[in-house]
Amino acid sequence: MPLKHNWRDFQLYVITAGGCHPGRELVHVMEETLKGGAGMLQLRNKTGSRQEVLREAKELRALTRAYDVPFIVNDYPDIALEVDADGVHLGQDDQAIEEARRLLGQDKIIGISTHSLEQGLAAERAGADYIGVGPVFPTNTKPGRAAVTTSYVSEAARHIRIPFVAIGGITLDNVGEVLAAGARKICAVSAIVGSEDPARVCRSFLEAIRSAEAGGHAIRIRLNGKETTTSAGNVAELVEQLGQGNKRLVAEVNGMMIQRSDWTSAALTPGARVELIQFVGGG
Amino acid sequence: MLNHTAERFADRYSRQIRFAPIGQEGQRKLLNSTALIVGCGALGASLAQHLTRAGVGRLRIADRDYVEPSNLQRQVLFHEADALAALPKAVAAAEKLRGMNSGIHIDAFVTDVNRHTLGPLIEGADIVLDGTDNAATRLLLSDACYERGIPFIYGGVTGAEGMSAVLVPGETACLRCLIGDEEAGGDGESCDTAGVLSAAVEFTASLQAIESVKYLTGNRSALRGSWVAADLWRFSLRELQLPKPSESCSHCGTTPAETSIHVGGPSYPVTLCGRDTVQVTLDEPLELDRMREWFSRLGCEVVSNRYLMKAMLSPDHRFVLFPDGRILVQGTSDPEEAMRLCRRLLPAGALR
Repeated sequence: MPLKHNWRDFQLYVITAGGCHPGRELVHVMEETLKGGAGMLQLRNKTGSRQEVLREAKELRALTRAYDVPFIVNDYPDIALEVDADGVHLGQDDQAIEEARRLLGQDKIIGISTHSLEQGLAAERAGADYIGVGPVFPTNTKPGRAAVTTSYVSEAARHIRIPFVAIGGITLDNVGEVLAAGARKICAVSAIVGSEDPARVCRSFLEAIRSAEAGGHAIRIRLNGKETTTSAGNVAELVEQLGQGNKRLVAEVNGMMIQRSDWTSAALTPGARVELIQFVGGG
Repeated sequence: MLNHTAERFADRYSRQIRFAPIGQEGQRKLLNSTALIVGCGALGASLAQHLTRAGVGRLRIADRDYVEPSNLQRQVLFHEADALAALPKAVAAAEKLRGMNSGIHIDAFVTDVNRHTLGPLIEGADIVLDGTDNAATRLLLSDACYERGIPFIYGGVTGAEGMSAVLVPGETACLRCLIGDEEAGGDGESCDTAGVLSAAVEFTASLQAIESVKYLTGNRSALRGSWVAADLWRFSLRELQLPKPSESCSHCGTTPAETSIHVGGPSYPVTLCGRDTVQVTLDEPLELDRMREWFSRLGCEVVSNRYLMKAMLSPDHRFVLFPDGRILVQGTSDPEEAMRLCRRLLPAGALR
């Protein structure tokens, strides 16, 4: 069953890590990530039996189908075929891309982890559909592998033509650096599935990615006394982004009240102090 | 008799006159001024009390509503007896105010303030004070004030929050520029949904009253040029600097008005914000005597006084009729339903 949209549009890639959420069902945690807007989901289970991986693959296939999100299986092309996954993800030590392609056919997605520009270009030549670029930061998910830092991200942004996903130790705190280096697709594992509220974390990642995509104009402002990151360029956009467009508000920027008709011309600059206050109308 | 009273109360304003920025001259100006207070609920009653005691010479109070038990917690001029008698707020307020100061002239108007009724009320007023509870009437008042070059003293209160601003034609932007037009969002939380504390009312009314006294005593340079937003519960108080009039605005700026556009004003039928009440305005006055007979014959319990008549239609619905042709349909916020009730229950020909 083909996906209804172009899988290459995904912005946030999530990977399972059962060990990050003891006591919570894999399928429930992963459904949370889909509710939060994850656009690609990979099953990675390096320790379970084939039987267990197959069972998880079946469950996640059904789940991702309901959300129309591509489903990728790490390592097991045979399981990918059996559950009709959308593709497989390979490591540098796994079978070659060409071999996986022969097995899966032209329509399946094949991705591969790369740790240098050389490997990235080689994967592209070998017919990979996307590459993972990382680990950007040191990570417990792949212990022992040296971080490639954001410099490989910048190189990938310049030289890789197929979709590339930055991965490895990415959290909401450091995703800004990765985006600044040129990544527009992000994969996070423990930061998402290890959190109390995976859906909310996904939404925050997407917000960061989208504001970077909007031209990297995300700035820090002080909104009603709280530090806030926003990609809004002016008061009107800010009110819209906050979903407050239907309320009667008064707006202040740096101590000055802003006339309603000037909201679109009232530019927000880094560090601006903005107050949005509900008009008080009782009497 | 009056002279006698005046003599007895010769010292009435002495403490106010002793306040240097006011003095004899300021007091004289105050006694020579005319203020219009629109809405005599919580804010309006407190404002009226401040201005009456301060000695504003002519006070006009306009309100469309009547006193109910739920008003007594914060509307300082009303007594239990007013609620039991369902007296119109303007009438009940004027009676108390006259007892506080017989040396000034107080006019009470039991009326909806809209674009048809505002003209005579605002004629000759030096200042307009906001005691209303909805954005549409405030916008109407702001427009009218800017048209006539008189200041509009906005105040609003909900919960423990209050806001106030002195809007002066030629000096500050008008309310329409600041909060947007009638379509720019709902009225938000109202006192009926979020409650309201009397101390927050008094705080906000004080902000309005002090600026009014400054203006009317000729202390214009002392006017506070900011929009105040206060939360008395968390205690926070913000002052937002008010912008200048907007060139492109037809009210506070220099752009001529588009005459084809009618601005503001609740018209017919209008839902009263958060009140579970719709106000229907008839083209003609209502004869209360005739209505009392009519509704009694329909089997409704009827309560009436000189100013209004209440008819209990059902446990959930009632009509409150005013001689000026207004009917408050209580127990619904749906204009359609209100109109259906009016069509069904009023004498034929009342609704055209």
